[in-house]
Amino acid sequence: MTKLMNRHVHRTAVSLLAGVALTLSPIMPAWAQADDLIIALSTFSEETMTPWSGSGQRKTYLDVVYEYLTYAEPGTLKTIPGLAESWEMSPDGKAWTFHLRHGVQFSGGYGEMTSADVAYSIERLIRDDSRAGPSSPMRRLIASVETPDDYTVVVKLHFPDFELAQGYFGAAQQLGIVSKAYFDALGETDAEAKPIGTGAYELASINPGSEIVMTLRDDVADHWRVHPEFENIVFKVVPEESTRVAMLRTGEADIAPIGFDSIPTVKEAGLTVVSAEATWSPVVRFGGLVETSDNRYNADNPWAKREVRQALNYAVDKQLIIDELFHGEATVASSDTPVPAWSDVEPYPYDPDKARELLKEAGYENGFDITIKTFTTAPGAELPLMAEAVALFWQDIGVNATIEPVDWPSLRSDWTEGRANDYVWTHRGFPFSSAANGLEAGFMAASVFAAYSTPELETMINDFSNEQDLVEREAKFTAIGQYLRDEAAAVFIALANEPYGISDKVGEWKITTAYMWNFDQVTRAK
Amino acid sequence: MFKIVAARTVEALIALLLMSIVIFFLSRLTGDPVALLLGDGATEADKIKLTRDLGLDQPIVIQYLTFLGKALTGDFGRSVAAGNQPALQLIMARLPASLSLAGVALAFTMVVGILFGVMAAVRHNSAVDIAARLIALVGQSVPSFWLGIVLMYVFAVQLGWLPTSGYGRWEHYVLPAATLGLFTLAAITRLVRSSMLEALGSEYIKLARVKGLSESVVIWKHALANSLIPVVTFMGTFFAVMITGAVIVETVFSWPGIGRLAYESILARDFPVVQAVVLVITSLFIIANLLVDILYVVIDPRMRSRG
Repeated sequence: MTKLMNRHVHRTAVSLLAGVALTLSPIMPAWAQADDLIIALSTFSEETMTPWSGSGQRKTYLDVVYEYLTYAEPGTLKTIPGLAESWEMSPDGKAWTFHLRHGVQFSGGYGEMTSADVAYSIERLIRDDSRAGPSSPMRRLIASVETPDDYTVVVKLHFPDFELAQGYFGAAQQLGIVSKAYFDALGETDAEAKPIGTGAYELASINPGSEIVMTLRDDVADHWRVHPEFENIVFKVVPEESTRVAMLRTGEADIAPIGFDSIPTVKEAGLTVVSAEATWSPVVRFGGLVETSDNRYNADNPWAKREVRQALNYAVDKQLIIDELFHGEATVASSDTPVPAWSDVEPYPYDPDKARELLKEAGYENGFDITIKTFTTAPGAELPLMAEAVALFWQDIGVNATIEPVDWPSLRSDWTEGRANDYVWTHRGFPFSSAANGLEAGFMAASVFAAYSTPELETMINDFSNEQDLVEREAKFTAIGQYLRDEAAAVFIALANEPYGISDKVGEWKITTAYMWNFDQVTRAK
Repeated sequence: MFKIVAARTVEALIALLLMSIVIFFLSRLTGDPVALLLGDGATEADKIKLTRDLGLDQPIVIQYLTFLGKALTGDFGRSVAAGNQPALQLIMARLPASLSLAGVALAFTMVVGILFGVMAAVRHNSAVDIAARLIALVGQSVPSFWLGIVLMYVFAVQLGWLPTSGYGRWEHYVLPAATLGLFTLAAITRLVRSSMLEALGSEYIKLARVKGLSESVVIWKHALANSLIPVVTFMGTFFAVMITGAVIVETVFSWPGIGRLAYESILARDFPVVQAVVLVITSLFIIANLLVDILYVVIDPRMRSRG
């Protein structure tokens, strides 16, 4: 090798490094968008803009555009007026009358919200081609929508729904009110591209798969409900959780859902963590337990015996799982769904001796083999680890579990195939949109998503659905919760929170549940 | 030249047809989107209706022929998971992000890889050569997920020089392109190093030196020009790998490319989008390789004489 060659190579390398250094040195963090409120979400879901064109996961960004007939009071979750100032239900629960708020304006100059807009929104949401989550039970429920005057909407039902106002018509669901005039004028495709509502914000821009920017409407000063402090709300889709945490730390995000494992990291970085409490319920469901179905029940599964299911509940130290996996952000569950009315139902204590006794009683003193299918989701990244913990506890009482990782779509498809499955699976329960419909969806054979049902339970649910006396209804509902617990309809693990990391830019954000999004009420730090 | 292009075009069409068959039937092995689209409280009747509405009640061969017939007219169907939007429209919205990232990453790897490869060959068995081999080893063995997170931690969180993630500004390209390019960088470094070593020991290089040409002309013009032929051969593959293999990088850096779209569509069992993405990627792969074939003929006169 010659000296000449050495010099030449050396010169080239130095020039390259100098170039890189010069390029990087003047960078200013212009990407932080300091004046905007930046929300980093794990998904935009369908990334569509009308209430009926996708799932409720889109409410994270759509709830600053669309508003609802009723809201839930932060803290108490008591139903409070929204676009409807008041409402009344007929004694038989089959007709509801909503009295609309006067003077609420759509953005874009599309005029005052009237009963015609509400009727259009309801009818469009329940149409056959609607992709909204609750569209099919709402379609079965709603018989007609009448508009006797501009500010009154009468909804007639095929069967009673005693919770319509706070259920399907509430802010936790998908009945955002759209402007009929706007859809009539633009047609559905164009109106979808630039959605307007009565909310404080309207769509400014969308970068598919990357970000959605909402900007304040011009006449926001007169808004009836909120007085936002941020000119723009930028929603970014950031599927990787460690990236969301990094964004919080660098100021590139102001609010982001985080995993339980990231809570210490976020706190150590001097940021705040707030949690939506008891929004989901990690659970282990049993296959083949829909006794009221001809093809979804298998009496040969060991867990077809109640004693075995109870034993599998007693065997698991749920508090330890909560402490280790959920960093204390959960409470021991007595049900598979976060329902306040069931909060007094006593959870199964950790008692492996009792579990062994029950197994012996059921004829399984030598244990048995079982398959646990598990998957990750959001929230629910912890489910595979939870499956491993449950398997270890079950091993302690002689039940040998094999863990089979799957993806959620395959499992969901298998679940709804109408078979008596011979495995158990980790899952997550969510609050019911309305108690009656939640029970029907989860515990009656008519629903393809039923995982557990007995003739006795279906009778109890029917009695509850038809009960008109509110006190009696509450008692019957509580009794159903107790029944599900005593029968060990699933292995109830925890009622878990959903934690969010908050940057220094944010002053106050009162999150009450993960189903009603109020990013339009986030305040700036002083 | 015309013969090569014509032959490659026929091969490309056959490859696309075969790929359409493979992806169509393969994507249906793990269920359909019906269960995912059914809302809470759906009944068996709802399920049957939705299956019919999506055309999934038809025999699978009929479904394929229907798809193929429409695809020939440029209609790849509508997304069943993303609000009924045309599948091709969804892909076209994401394609610029994928192409630009792959382009930047490829340019980065070509420049740095060739430089490292040349330096390693010229300073054979020196510290530079060992460093280049180490980079090659690390680049091909470090998982991109881990590398992406580490780069983000160092350059975004600790130093604050670059954004953690996102799309839209030039700064957003640096970390994902570096992460995506490192694997290929390693491959190019090794390729250039070995072919440069071979070239530097050849008779024509000795002749060039004897003729009194400057060392830079000997290295960068005569030795490198010949050493680049294998690199150019692999360029099409590298580019395709960067488009198809970017799923993890796109996820870590929130990059709105078609890799992530494909991944999300597979999870949602969104058949029309999955099929369209795979066919678009296959087309890109074929086009890239066709361009490489043409380039190969241009830079290597021996190929022209072979026809």
